[in-house]
Amino acid sequence: MVVKELYSILVSVEGMTCNSCVESIEDKIGKLQGVYSIKVSLDSKNAMMFFDPTFQTTESLREAIDDMGFEASVSV
Amino acid sequence: MTKHEFFVDMTCEGCSGAVTRVLNKLGGVQFDIDLPNKKVFIESDHSVDLLLETLKKTGKNASYIGTK
Repeated sequence: MVVKELYSILVSVEGMTCNSCVESIEDKIGKLQGVYSIKVSLDSKNAMMFFDPTFQTTESLREAIDDMGFEASVSV
Repeated sequence: MTKHEFFVDMTCEGCSGAVTRVLNKLGGVQFDIDLPNKKVFIESDHSVDLLLETLKKTGKNASYIGTK
């Protein structure tokens, strides 16, 4: 069994006010190559993602959300 | 500058905020957003395709209606 090394990242996301914003982010970012799972929380204003480091980096994911028009910052 | 009219499936303040940010990031546009009617009016020299592509970055369903 190949154990895939997954990274997780928590990105705080400003600008979401309703569930449809959550859905569009989960839908679009979830489809990115290497993103295994994504959970966006409206009330805590952040997005939790598990991804394969060979395809994505913290910066590429933060930028992907930023590109959608939401203020994304990595809360390290 | 031609004035274009787009349909963007915005359902709330947050969605129109996202449209505002992607358009500001693109630059070279003057726009106003009619949230209740899900319309975005953009005055710009950019091509319709570029404007549409930018609007679609928000993950929302967007389509071109025509020039005003």
